[in-house]
Amino acid sequence: MSKGKVKSEEINKTIRAEDNWEPVGPTPMPEISDLRRWDMRLLNTYKPFYAPFCDLCCFCTYGKCDLTGEKKGACGINISGQQGRWALMFSLMGCSAHGAHARHLVDYLIDKYGEDYKIDLGGQVAVEAPHMRTVMGLKPETLGDLRKGIEFVERGIIHGVSATHMGQEGSSLDFESKSLHIGMLDHVVMEVADIAQTIGFKFPTSVAETPLSGLGWGAVDKSKPVVTCVGHNAAVATVMIDQLMKMGIYDQVEVTGICCTAHDNIRYSDKAKIIGPLSKQLFFLRTGIADLVLTDEQCVRCDIPELAKATGSALIATSDKISYGLDDVTHKEVDEIVRMITQEGKQVLIRDVDKAGEVAAKVLPIVAKGRKKEIATKEKATELAKECKQCGLCDRVCPNLLNISDATADVRDGKFEKMADLFAKCVGCGKCEQECPKSIPIITIMQAATAWDTFNIRVGRGPIQDVEIRKVGAPIVLGTIPGIIAIVGCSNYPEEAEEVVEIAEEFAKRKYIVVLSGCAAMAAGMKKDAEGKTIYERFKPDFDAGGVLNVGSCVANAHITGAAMKVANIFAKLPLRANYEVIADYILNRVGAVGLAWGAYSQKAFCIGTGCNRMGIPVVLGPHSAKYRRLYLSRKEEDDWTVMDGRKKELINTEEPSPEHLSIVVESKERAIITMAKLCIRKNDTAQGRQLKLNHYISLYKQHMGTLPDDLQNFVRNDKDIPIVYKKEVAEYLKNVGWKPKPLLTLPTLIGTYESNIPIDAVVK
Amino acid sequence: MSLPLHYVNVLTGLKGCRVIEDAQALGKIIKKAERPLLVFGPRCIDIDLGGKKAIEYGIELAKALGAATCATAHTKKKLLECGVTPDSAYDAVEIINHLKDPNWKGVKKLGNHDIVMFLGMRTDFGNQGLSTLKHYAPHLKTITLCPYVYPHASFSLANMKADKWKEYLENLVKSLK
Repeated sequence: MSKGKVKSEEINKTIRAEDNWEPVGPTPMPEISDLRRWDMRLLNTYKPFYAPFCDLCCFCTYGKCDLTGEKKGACGINISGQQGRWALMFSLMGCSAHGAHARHLVDYLIDKYGEDYKIDLGGQVAVEAPHMRTVMGLKPETLGDLRKGIEFVERGIIHGVSATHMGQEGSSLDFESKSLHIGMLDHVVMEVADIAQTIGFKFPTSVAETPLSGLGWGAVDKSKPVVTCVGHNAAVATVMIDQLMKMGIYDQVEVTGICCTAHDNIRYSDKAKIIGPLSKQLFFLRTGIADLVLTDEQCVRCDIPELAKATGSALIATSDKISYGLDDVTHKEVDEIVRMITQEGKQVLIRDVDKAGEVAAKVLPIVAKGRKKEIATKEKATELAKECKQCGLCDRVCPNLLNISDATADVRDGKFEKMADLFAKCVGCGKCEQECPKSIPIITIMQAATAWDTFNIRVGRGPIQDVEIRKVGAPIVLGTIPGIIAIVGCSNYPEEAEEVVEIAEEFAKRKYIVVLSGCAAMAAGMKKDAEGKTIYERFKPDFDAGGVLNVGSCVANAHITGAAMKVANIFAKLPLRANYEVIADYILNRVGAVGLAWGAYSQKAFCIGTGCNRMGIPVVLGPHSAKYRRLYLSRKEEDDWTVMDGRKKELINTEEPSPEHLSIVVESKERAIITMAKLCIRKNDTAQGRQLKLNHYISLYKQHMGTLPDDLQNFVRNDKDIPIVYKKEVAEYLKNVGWKPKPLLTLPTLIGTYESNIPIDAVVK
Repeated sequence: MSLPLHYVNVLTGLKGCRVIEDAQALGKIIKKAERPLLVFGPRCIDIDLGGKKAIEYGIELAKALGAATCATAHTKKKLLECGVTPDSAYDAVEIINHLKDPNWKGVKKLGNHDIVMFLGMRTDFGNQGLSTLKHYAPHLKTITLCPYVYPHASFSLANMKADKWKEYLENLVKSLK
């Protein structure tokens, strides 16, 4: 795209175009429509599938407007446009949350260390920021460079938000293109955030085998003073831990966390503990085990001040994103704030990281004194449940459609089995309680029903090492490592969280590379085998076949997608610099990676997934994600699967729907497993690789569906692709369905199948 | 229109389902179909109605009507165990995506379906899929056979207890024979 002279000069200056680490590619610091043609090419195959949550548009004072049928709103928008607008808004919300998080970290660290503070991710990570390199064309060297990444994304966000205003964008496809753009930017700021905290807080990096850390509400020693950090930003917690050490009392307290701050706390100190994913936030805070609750940002309940008050826990809010209407005491002296909290019982907002950390450390031993922490006993729970009349109102409001009234009635009769099962499936919202006409504290009752076990989780390791990519690059691209399975996202699971463990284990046993992050990484650690070991203790922590890795918190997701980019760069020698279209095309056609967000709930998860989609990584979502309203689906054999053979420079109709979808919701764990195995298939697979991938697809399909896959003919290109173990059976099946061999490719690419400035030779190395 | 059992499915709009309280009346509507399709969701595998699984009622209904069948999620295996080979097996959103296209050939390659019945899906997931069809498939009618009000369906059962539902399904099958 042509840019004005001034703008081009500005970009060249920002990315230091004269640096010759790689030639500057075609799209340095792309604006919102610079990759639009790539998006439209993707959307031509993977069309948006909309499932409107609301039939109405309520955005402006013309409304409410009914958008059913052929009806348009007063502004002219139709139902698809409105769904596309929602998709863009979700992406913007998600990207903004990560972006503001990154901004806070980088500003804080620049203030502390200066903008020339060097990025050093250890000897094993030379390609330090694949997203910044690929998207912006900048090889960041300092904190100041990371700030450039944020400024670039902030500019994109403003443009994106402007398009959602009424009377602006109206085309669903253009909304989707913008949403994809914002998704791409999201991975840039996630990368910025995690690099910043890794170098600023000295998290582990260039190490595969990070230590194990305590996990689970049972892991907390409640006889000690307990602080619980809730959210996604560990800046304050790191200062607090330092201060506790300085005071010589770190060993005498428990630093715990819920959600991603907990991940980052254990990266800072493996003595810290993770209580669990966000679905256990209400449950744990209700126990009152936390003497002090420290909130930061993202995925933090809006009613924590009430919860803390009810249990007598002290509360310090530390982010201007979640101020709770509390008194801002940032300007006061530390001792004065400590006095206000410990003597007046005040809940406060402290917006200064260092001050908040120091206050938290000083307050903790004082507020813990004399507090009683009594977990509800079975007798107490039975007493609380006595009032239940089984009116069923709790069942009606449960977002996970659980049968709460039956479980509560059983507790009333002294039976806890159903309640324990319910707790395993509970997403932790508490809506059942507020609906109950008898005000039965159902979440409190769960304290008596759950096992208070202790688990182990591997500390998040941050970036994938370049040496690992060198080792697995070829097997991934050739297909002999059948795929990268990224299990990510929140804990809004349709059934027990244990399903995450089962899925991860299934693929690890089959020698896929299994990478986890965020709440999913926590859920994966919450099941032990007969020997008492969690998945992190049973599988190696390497980015290699059969490895099970935890990269860290939500923002560490950028390292998973970054690993796919590194395959293109380190293995295939494709330049990353400002070369997004080529790299995304490479990943789409040659890197068998698939994401699973089984319990996605947030706009951040939506945005992360959208960013994956733009770079060619399909995402499988759990059933709750139907409420995101938008998927990207193909129509299998009915769509056009023509690609360019990059070496022969010929258009070839492959007739092969791979990957079949970019974003799909499935209803059951079994279907998720089958779908993920299938979505790892890529057009570039060698015969050996395809055999292996089909072997897993067939085996899983037979296990869960009872037959050979009924779309098998779509993925067998010739006889050599047929797995030996199923040879006879498959050959007979193919004969019956009238299968014919498909054309073979030497180098599949979408470049050349649509109008683009990218020459086909750009994908050939 | 009645409220759905699960409030997560409350309609925000004007165009809601018609609740059919009487199984015979629903039978009459279904019988008018030229190319009916019954979509099985995974919950019908486990729901027990006095010793008989919901999936078995679905099979009886499809047989009585001569309806085409589609197994979603992992229901195919159970259908095979019940002696039924489904005409198709898709993810739920895949079959819905196909149904949106009036020119789609249908699971039996005889043309797109005119009435699509759903049995055994999560209500929230199902209602979202029905929303897609309400908005993008005006050429077909949707019917839900589970004991919950589905606001986005064309025709839905009322919210009812298991015993009433069993009775309803039995009467519905009878009315189709």
